[in-house]
Amino acid sequence: MVNATKGLFISCDIPMAQFIINYNASLPASQKFIIQVLDSTHLFVQPHVAEMIRSAIAEFRDQNSYEKPN
Amino acid sequence: MGHGDKGRPNKKHKSSAKEDHRSIVEDEDAYYGEEIEDDNRDGEKKRDFTKLELKPDHVNRPLWACADGRIFLETFSPLYKQAYDFLIAIAEPVCRPESMHEYNLTPHSLYAAVSVGLETETIIAVLNKLSKTKLPKEMIDFIHASTANYGKVKLVLKKNRYFVESPFPEVLKKLLKDEAISKARINAEVSNGSDGFTISKAKGEIGTGHEDLLSGAEVAAAAEEKETHAFEVDPAQVENVKQRCLPNALNYPMLEEYDFRNDTVNPDLDMELKPHAQPRPYQEKSLSKMFGNGRARSGIIVLPCGAGKSLVGVSAACRIKKSCLCLATNAVSVDQWAFQFRLWSTIREDQICRFTSDSKERFRGNAGVVVTTYNMVAFGGKRSEESEKIIEEIRNREWGLLLMDEVHVVPAHMFRKVISITKSHCKLGLTATLVREDERITDLNFLIGPKLYEANWLDLVKGGFIANVQCAEVWCPMTKEFFAEYLKKENSKKKQALYVMNPNKFRACEFLIRFHEQQRGDKIIVFADNLFALTEYAMKLRKPMIYGATSHVERTKILEAFKTSKEVNTVFLSKVGDNSIDIPEANVIIQISSHAGSRRQEAQRLGRILRAKGKLQDRMAGGKEEYNAFFYSLVSTDTQEMYYSTKRQQFLIDQGYSFKVITSLPPPDTGADLSYHSLQDQLALLSKVLSAGDDAVGLEQLEEDADDIALHKARRFMGSMSAMSGANGMVYMEYSTGRKMQGQLKGKPKDPAKRHHLFKRRFT
Repeated sequence: MVNATKGLFISCDIPMAQFIINYNASLPASQKFIIQVLDSTHLFVQPHVAEMIRSAIAEFRDQNSYEKPN
Repeated sequence: MGHGDKGRPNKKHKSSAKEDHRSIVEDEDAYYGEEIEDDNRDGEKKRDFTKLELKPDHVNRPLWACADGRIFLETFSPLYKQAYDFLIAIAEPVCRPESMHEYNLTPHSLYAAVSVGLETETIIAVLNKLSKTKLPKEMIDFIHASTANYGKVKLVLKKNRYFVESPFPEVLKKLLKDEAISKARINAEVSNGSDGFTISKAKGEIGTGHEDLLSGAEVAAAAEEKETHAFEVDPAQVENVKQRCLPNALNYPMLEEYDFRNDTVNPDLDMELKPHAQPRPYQEKSLSKMFGNGRARSGIIVLPCGAGKSLVGVSAACRIKKSCLCLATNAVSVDQWAFQFRLWSTIREDQICRFTSDSKERFRGNAGVVVTTYNMVAFGGKRSEESEKIIEEIRNREWGLLLMDEVHVVPAHMFRKVISITKSHCKLGLTATLVREDERITDLNFLIGPKLYEANWLDLVKGGFIANVQCAEVWCPMTKEFFAEYLKKENSKKKQALYVMNPNKFRACEFLIRFHEQQRGDKIIVFADNLFALTEYAMKLRKPMIYGATSHVERTKILEAFKTSKEVNTVFLSKVGDNSIDIPEANVIIQISSHAGSRRQEAQRLGRILRAKGKLQDRMAGGKEEYNAFFYSLVSTDTQEMYYSTKRQQFLIDQGYSFKVITSLPPPDTGADLSYHSLQDQLALLSKVLSAGDDAVGLEQLEEDADDIALHKARRFMGSMSAMSGANGMVYMEYSTGRKMQGQLKGKPKDPAKRHHLFKRRFT
């Protein structure tokens, strides 16, 4: 039987996919959001997590970028 | 891999440059859009300069002077050269890109200005002349306030007597009211009726080089002979007197000058510059700041690596012609300094000697040059008899010049020690990078002296004096497996090893080495701070490497091969190669890992290839070769390395360099040519990194690595020959065991309650 699940299709580069997978793994089971890892650059996730992933990535990237103090 | 967006010149736009290569969900523009705004200038935008009054002929004037002490200089102005010389004397350069420089007036920089002989009124007059706008009142007040007391008092060593000298007798009287100073005073003729100051005529400033900016009358005033008043102080109390005059006490910081021409007590050293030693214009200029009025001033001269610091040092020594103590950071650069002295000056072989742990030479005669390391002088432990003698000699001698190479590496406490041990009339510090992450630089101002001169890197590049370097940052995306491991919490200690060993980075490195070796025939240095990575890379690519534990002999051998052999074109260096290993042949640097965010390391490494090569006319602007040296920094994207790399580049960016970002290296069509193409190989490498111990993958730890004077291989002991053979040890052993036993049994009976339970029964 065919099952349909509503979700969000994410396409990104390889390291970011890894970041999202790792982020997903760090959450408790009830909050895991990845429905399916399609390949190394595409993920299928719960529809409501877009904002959460964005802010997680933003935070991660802020840590890795340097701004010259004024 | 990277989506080929080459050549983003400016790192500040990193966030926006990243855009095309990160994509998450769809509408990313809304997400990153607002970051494109230039982040740095926000603060300044809010500043209001509308009140500044433009002079009618402002087009002809090169400066913008702002009330907050900032000065902007247009480098395209016809007056640029003169204005630059002046500004560098009075202000601290903040950022010097191609067409607009930013400077900052600080108390320190004004102190330096005063010490090279500029007077308050001259500073204000020239500044006003150059400025497009009327000088803001705040700035004038600031200059007055900062220079009011500076330069009023000089400490002069004449005929081995210390004099406190000033053109203003009232200042001297004020100083003498201080108890410590009046005690230190030596009264030659006490009851002379007057205040007893010696009055003499001193020559006015010559060669400050700003005459052309002043009207004739002003120059005449400056050059007029001035009366100076002086009193003598007790040599033993000089340190105290100096201390009392610092800003936190009486606030009359002393300038130190050495009247070497009239010094008849210390024997002259017969040395001249050889005729083929032609100091370049900027070298002349820096020397003229040092010898402005016929006396030698203490201070620091900042020149980029490869611009000929050693010639400046040697010239200064030749000018003073007294015994000279030259301090370098390690044994290799000691050899190089000794070589430079012989190369540029007519000094006799027996007048120059090296004092390191390996070679302890002593010079004959009563004057000479000694080259040694900071560590040898400041070393606190027990020395061998021979070196004890030499150090005693160094301590007892009066040095005409104390020449200090790479002053930025030496922490303040070490300096204090060196300076307290050695008695010198004049101290000259040389460095390329007056930045330290720990901000201990300011101490140098008072320990050595003010900054006398700082060259503009881009001007030297344009003049063809240093190489024109293409700086590039190569972005290497992490592979899937490595990044997955990088993100795991349990690998936090191995993060560095993981991003350094990133297979994409390795491939980029291999590609660059191949390209430069085969296509251009360049000589390449690869830098890696991480020892694990260094060995892995070097072994895999079958190249020689040098790191802390490499013996002096082997180092010399490898470097020699690198210089002469056609076979050896690449050498791997750990951070031992950062400073002062002179490899003039190299013109490509590939940096695969680095010491966190150290700006100085970046600049020092760049310095390894700055020495100009090839014909002069090819190098000049518009010559055949646009770039003749290359500096690649390989960075794994999405890791901490991005942060460090941007931070490290700041110093070079402030010097006007720009970094090009390369995202598609190696080109996608180089498949299996390069190593680690297959997933299998990559996984094997990964497991190797993961199985290595935490200590193995960490940074190389060098002895005394605070902000590294470094470069020591193993711990160094001073010992006698008999100790080596074991003879000493035997005697010592016998003695000590006997004593110890006694001591333990009689002197300190152990509390039975504290005894280990296994042994308790034995004694009870």
